[in-house]
Amino acid sequence: MGAVERGLLRQGLRYALGLRIVVVGASSMASLLTPAPEPAVAVAVVVALNAWNVCYATLRLRAARRVRRWLVPVDVAVMCGVCLTQVRIVEPDPGGRVTWVLIAVQVTVVTYAWQLDWPALAAATVVIVAAQHVGAGSAGGWPVDRTIVLWTAVQPALSWALYRLVRRGARTADRVVERGERLRRAVAVAAARRADEREYLTALHDTAAATLLMVGSGVAARRESWLAEQAKRDLQEINASEVVAGGDVDLLELLHGVVAHTPLRVSWSAPESVRLPAADAMSLSRGAREALTNVVRHADTDRAELRVHRDGDAVTVQIIDEGRGFDPDQTSDHRYGVTRSLAERMARTGGSARIVSSPGRGTTVTMTCPLSVPELHGDDSGIIASSFQRALSWGVVVLSLAILLLLDLPRLLAGGYAYREVWPQFATWGVLLAVTLVAAGATWRNRSLGWWRWLLLVPVFGCSALATASVRPQYLLGPEHWSAGNAGWPAVLLLLDSRLATLILVLAAQYVMTFGQVATAEPAALSVAGVVNAVWDQLAIAMIAAVLRGLAVSSARAARAGELLRTSDEVARHLHADRRARYSGLATTTVPLLEGLACGILDPADDAVRRSCAAEAARMRRLFAEDTAASDPLAHELRACIESAEHHGVSVSFAAYGTRPELPPAARRRLTEPAIAALASARGEVRLTVAGTGDTVTVSVIADCPPVAPAPDADGVHRSIVQDGDRWWIQTTWRGER
Amino acid sequence: MITVVLVDDHPVVTAGVRAWCGLADPPIRVVAHGANVSVAWLPPGDVADVVVLDLQLDVTGPAFGDLRRLVDAGRQVVVYSMRSDRETVLTSLDIGAFTYLTKSEGEEHLVAAIEAAAAGTPYTPPALSGAFGTDDRPHRPRLSPRESEVLLEWFHCESKEMVARRLHITVHRVNSCLERVRVKYANVGRAAPTKAALVARAIQDGLISTDEL
Repeated sequence: MGAVERGLLRQGLRYALGLRIVVVGASSMASLLTPAPEPAVAVAVVVALNAWNVCYATLRLRAARRVRRWLVPVDVAVMCGVCLTQVRIVEPDPGGRVTWVLIAVQVTVVTYAWQLDWPALAAATVVIVAAQHVGAGSAGGWPVDRTIVLWTAVQPALSWALYRLVRRGARTADRVVERGERLRRAVAVAAARRADEREYLTALHDTAAATLLMVGSGVAARRESWLAEQAKRDLQEINASEVVAGGDVDLLELLHGVVAHTPLRVSWSAPESVRLPAADAMSLSRGAREALTNVVRHADTDRAELRVHRDGDAVTVQIIDEGRGFDPDQTSDHRYGVTRSLAERMARTGGSARIVSSPGRGTTVTMTCPLSVPELHGDDSGIIASSFQRALSWGVVVLSLAILLLLDLPRLLAGGYAYREVWPQFATWGVLLAVTLVAAGATWRNRSLGWWRWLLLVPVFGCSALATASVRPQYLLGPEHWSAGNAGWPAVLLLLDSRLATLILVLAAQYVMTFGQVATAEPAALSVAGVVNAVWDQLAIAMIAAVLRGLAVSSARAARAGELLRTSDEVARHLHADRRARYSGLATTTVPLLEGLACGILDPADDAVRRSCAAEAARMRRLFAEDTAASDPLAHELRACIESAEHHGVSVSFAAYGTRPELPPAARRRLTEPAIAALASARGEVRLTVAGTGDTVTVSVIADCPPVAPAPDADGVHRSIVQDGDRWWIQTTWRGER
Repeated sequence: MITVVLVDDHPVVTAGVRAWCGLADPPIRVVAHGANVSVAWLPPGDVADVVVLDLQLDVTGPAFGDLRRLVDAGRQVVVYSMRSDRETVLTSLDIGAFTYLTKSEGEEHLVAAIEAAAAGTPYTPPALSGAFGTDDRPHRPRLSPRESEVLLEWFHCESKEMVARRLHITVHRVNSCLERVRVKYANVGRAAPTKAALVARAIQDGLISTDEL
């Protein structure tokens, strides 16, 4: 289950329970203001039911599975109990036969749709609706409106359909988000691997390769202590497979290393350890080194204080000395240069550096590095929101059509006696159906209605007023006045993607208009239960729309946070594997040489040592060239040959530049043929280069080798040969057909 | 005597560069060296004729910022780096590095590059030539076919004599092609005092005309 669907289920349950508490609470409490057959019983039932509702919601959310299993049967029993006692606790309003108990029943079964699977939902609905029917009809009670009973049974089905649709929307959103995540993760992993490879190789070349190169070229021709030291450091660098780029390192450890290399007496004030991303820690420790170097150079003191402080979102390193100090306003350019370089260094990782000093008062350098918070872009929230929006629109379309066709049309057809004239009723019904279908069409084509929605609201309002006006006053609160509440549905559908306040305002206007008309005609008949019954489901939909919009944003954030985590895991896994592979590649070649140099077993003055150092340096340089050249079959072929040539003591300098198109295999073979032949038979030094410029690829080899025979052009490859003493320069060029 | 400040955090490289400079004729004096760029800003490094800069001084990536500040202060910077990828090479030149040497080219070219930098004459070692010759960025300067050819051949064989023989031109012509390309590159991208000086001097010497730029 994806983040969006999970979020929907959680939020859906919470809001369903909340809705039940609020609607049942409001309508039942309001009913206490009106006379009841047995007021004491009524008060007791209302209080008990509301208490149970709160208890039910709490247990539903918090309780263990074992307890939750019994909740719904108990709840059904409670509702049945309320239904069966209703003749003693409520006085039905004479026209509408709507009581708060009916509303409670409706809300309960409608919200069950968000909590139960359909067999349980059906069973609970049948039981409760039957109890309501029996309860209302018992003791020779009230005339029972069969449409309302039927409708109460249909409502949970509609609610369930709405729930399925919205959940399907959530699944669609999850799929889309996941697809995006997979793509982004692949890109991120590839980029990180590439960057890490590059940084690793660069570091390698700045350390191990440089050492070997210098030994190989005879610069370091004796056993020197600094050479051994350097070889040791190089080994550490090579074996850095455990430090994953983007992983954390201990800043304090780095700072101790820095302090160990200064002649100053440094007093510490720092926590045990401060773990930071490697780049941040490195930039702070290098900054500290620079600041300490400045103390040594300029401050005229032999002690300094180093403070490390970490608060919520930043790490601060301070270097304080009580030395000579300087006037920042009159610093020379050089010192300004140092200041600036510190600031620039910190700025590169998003931090800052500040230097406070005055003559005779010492200097305080403060470097601050924010703990990088991963950037969360909510750009999936649009996708999720539109997926929800669409699903909810379909749900409301289904709901509206069901109401118009199954509820309103039968009432309208049966209620001819209640209208002054019938045609306004049919006209209103037709207009509401048409508006619903227009909105359905827009949903189907996935288009927003834009300004049209306001235009479409005009006939909805007009017809609603017209229909109300044509109902005889005594039937205004009866089922014959079907448009009273149900004209609100097209309005909900039209304004589903507007802000909640707008939607509520429009609905309120609609009801004020309708009930205003009713109140002027039949003021006494208007009951709170009647109004709540007409509006609660539409307000619930409006609320669901708003909640889903919020949910889109929050689940996009959750999805992205999960994605960051998974991506960084994936990156770390790949980088770790890559580094192990690289280290094992060096384990048999570079590592023994460096170890020999580090402990002094190998003598840089020895010719054989120098030769193998030179060959190793060349090999590592080639690793680097490989990294910069796109990995392709051509480079692979050449690499393999270089490898074997080096085994025979040939030193190959290899360089590749430019972008190469993909070559036909025949052309590739012909391009590399002379180079391979030369490498196989060459002595001494060989220069092998590859250059690609859009539509040409050139492979060039210069080597001491046996004479090379010219060859005719073929497969688009031209070969040219230049001889210079013993050295042959063979170049093959492929030209594309562009 | 030419003076040099060397910014490199690798003691073996420092030792190598000092040895090569000492053996140059006339000798080149390394007045200061250190593991970070402040040595180029502080006495005695601040007045050195040429800055030899290693781009990779910490884990945060190539030190383009340091390079930019040195160039803006009018320093002649020879970038001397383990990196040889085209992007890094061309970016350094765009910023205004005088020339770019990979560490493997040091033995052959570093002394000559320092001398050229001190004299303000263009210097294009083979790796840089390869980067120029395969440059396919949209804002690259327009090169003649001959110039492109010379760039690539010089990259391939590292011997101007052989390039001359292969293309049936004189070594002098090879050199002037390389210089013209270098000047054309100095004329594009970011404005920097050292680049402007290179272009002005080339025009004065008649190496290139304003029309060709």
